[in-house]
Amino acid sequence: MDFHLTTEQIDIQKAASEFAKGEFDPDAALDYDLRQQFPLTIWKKACELGFIGVCFPEEYGGQELGLLENALIAEAFCRQDSGIGMALALSDFGSEMIVRNGNGDQKKRILPFIVHGKGIVTSAFLEEGYFLAPLATTAKINKHGFIINGMKYFVTLGSMADYIIVVCQTRLDTPNAQNVVLLEREIDGIEVSSMGEKVGMRMIPVDQVAFTNVRVPAENIIGQEDTGYFQLQNFLNEMRIKTGAMGIGIAQGGLDKALEYSKKREQFGKPIASFGAVRNKLADMYMDVEMARLITYKAAWSFDQGKPDLRAILMAKMISSQTAYKTTYNAVQVHGGYGYMTEGHIEHFYRDAKVLDLFLEPGHIQRNMLADEILGR
Amino acid sequence: MHKNLYRKEHRLFRERFKRFLSEEIIPFYDQWEKEGIIPKEVWKKMGMHGYLCPWVEKEYGGAGLGLEFSFIITEEMAYAGVYGLMAGLHSDIVAPYIHTFGDKEQKKKWLPGCISGEIILAVAMTEPDAGSDLSSIRTTAKRDGDSYIINGEKIYISNGILSNLIVVACKTEIESGSRYKDISLICVEDGSPGFSRGRNLEKTGWHSQDTGELIFRDCQVPVSNLLGEEGKGFYYMMEKLQQERLVSAIMSQAAAEAAFNMTLNYCKQRKGLKQAEIPIDINGITEMATDIEIGRTFLNSLIYDHINDEDIIKKVSMAKWWTSDMANRIISQCMELYRDYGYLEDYKVGRFFRDVRAHPIYAGTNEIMKRIIGRKLGI
Repeated sequence: MDFHLTTEQIDIQKAASEFAKGEFDPDAALDYDLRQQFPLTIWKKACELGFIGVCFPEEYGGQELGLLENALIAEAFCRQDSGIGMALALSDFGSEMIVRNGNGDQKKRILPFIVHGKGIVTSAFLEEGYFLAPLATTAKINKHGFIINGMKYFVTLGSMADYIIVVCQTRLDTPNAQNVVLLEREIDGIEVSSMGEKVGMRMIPVDQVAFTNVRVPAENIIGQEDTGYFQLQNFLNEMRIKTGAMGIGIAQGGLDKALEYSKKREQFGKPIASFGAVRNKLADMYMDVEMARLITYKAAWSFDQGKPDLRAILMAKMISSQTAYKTTYNAVQVHGGYGYMTEGHIEHFYRDAKVLDLFLEPGHIQRNMLADEILGR
Repeated sequence: MHKNLYRKEHRLFRERFKRFLSEEIIPFYDQWEKEGIIPKEVWKKMGMHGYLCPWVEKEYGGAGLGLEFSFIITEEMAYAGVYGLMAGLHSDIVAPYIHTFGDKEQKKKWLPGCISGEIILAVAMTEPDAGSDLSSIRTTAKRDGDSYIINGEKIYISNGILSNLIVVACKTEIESGSRYKDISLICVEDGSPGFSRGRNLEKTGWHSQDTGELIFRDCQVPVSNLLGEEGKGFYYMMEKLQQERLVSAIMSQAAAEAAFNMTLNYCKQRKGLKQAEIPIDINGITEMATDIEIGRTFLNSLIYDHINDEDIIKKVSMAKWWTSDMANRIISQCMELYRDYGYLEDYKVGRFFRDVRAHPIYAGTNEIMKRIIGRKLGI
């Protein structure tokens, strides 16, 4: 047993952290949030320096690193700024399905495109009612390929994406009979519209996507036919770990700011860090972040070992997202009135953190899933 | 006893005010949230209908009603998620300073305007370096003939942009031996020479509520603007903070109730839909309902005791921190029951989420509440 990161992992962590410190201007971050704009130039730079798509195979421009390394980068980015961090971490949302299941042609077409910052890829799977099987979005087979009809909700970066990876139902009589299909957003029959303003994560547009008789050639199917459901489950596991990483990043960022402020801010003639009420909070925050980090790294490590530990993965997502919420709540509190003001540079961490609790599935649903696991269903 | 808090006249008043809210406020509120300010005319409308300072005696133009009528207004606005129009601050937090400590002249001069909405009130305590530690304020007021000359800066002042009469906490004496005995309350009217306003600050929530900076550079006001006696400001504030904390608890409790009821209805609707796969978190919902019931019972007992002039400092400090934490806890959980939709502004639960985050901070942070409770417990 060894709890240490490798030298290579520490170097990656350092590089990501230095990049974030250098490039994520705090005031620019507030501005992106206010104007609801994706941090395009920062994202391009992150691509140039190789921070996006690190898990991709080397022959497609990646570095063949593990999910843990990817998590370290997402954590470092979110630690510096919750909004920019999440925007970068989610800029290749769904590419995992191509990496794990795509064929050579698909990889050649999409992965270098992502790595070199040529465009954005996203994935669309959520539907009204949240059923994952059977899906209401269908792919009917014809002699040239598929015809897709349906509607997807909560598609992150939908309006900015060049490619959308869609999960759809092939046969209605078999709930798990689903295909994963790669679509260019510009083709006929795809209509993207905004789902409106959000509490946080405002740099990332969240859209709904309507598919009306969208014709796709058969070569655009990712992986084997009818394996879509299982591909999605694996992808969700990767995303739970990545969400865990974003959570610990945001939480750590909140803690960093709370520590700094509490040492600097004086009331009653001494730094507020000398008051029990503040010290208790700081200690709680530190404990929570450390626990969330341990379970998230463990989950990522298990994934990289080829034996994804579903319990650890579920816990990583739950504990980290709750930690992000609680820690940023307390970070705002330590800052007092300044904490509630945008110029305090902490309140957007709080608004951003809350999305992680909702992302993929909220805590009470994940607790059910974990209960299934430990009860042996 | 507190079960008898509200009688028929209260219920009628509540219904009447709810109608006013739904006709005159709620349809326009989204727009005001975008604009970051409430039009002054709305204050006058509130005044015209008798919804500002309804507890002030008839001789000053008030309705002479019990304080609980004012609390009904605050509560209904909080239910509706209308935090930007701070009638509670105006009527029940600032006006009492003038009413209790002002002399007959001052009351005659200002209270009728407070009731009609011509005057919008603010109280300025917080400074860049004086938040929880109120006695460390640095704004000074020096006597110069028949005037005070005020110098200093105040921040995070609610109604900071709209207000035209501001009760300002100043040091009238430096080092009298006790920091608490240096402070006086002086009213500054809009247009006083040397008085200006800074920015309308951006914040997490309460977007239509103007939170401003006030700047005093050799600001000159007549000596007759002093409230009560010189050097007693700190004690006046301590006295009035009881009611401020009660108002704050009323808002937190109402916010929790409103968000919870909204969420419960949403879950019931979703449950009725064929395609709905929102597993209802019955355990979580019942726990929330229990928290809300406990809060309501405690709060109503405090309202009852307060309007019967009892000292509730310890208990109201408990209520302030507990209800504001509870409201945040519950609203955060409510968002999860909406799943991703909870994060969309259109679903309103998210606005509650942003708005109630202010509650554990203002009117004395929850940490200060615990300090007070500790002191009352003798530790």
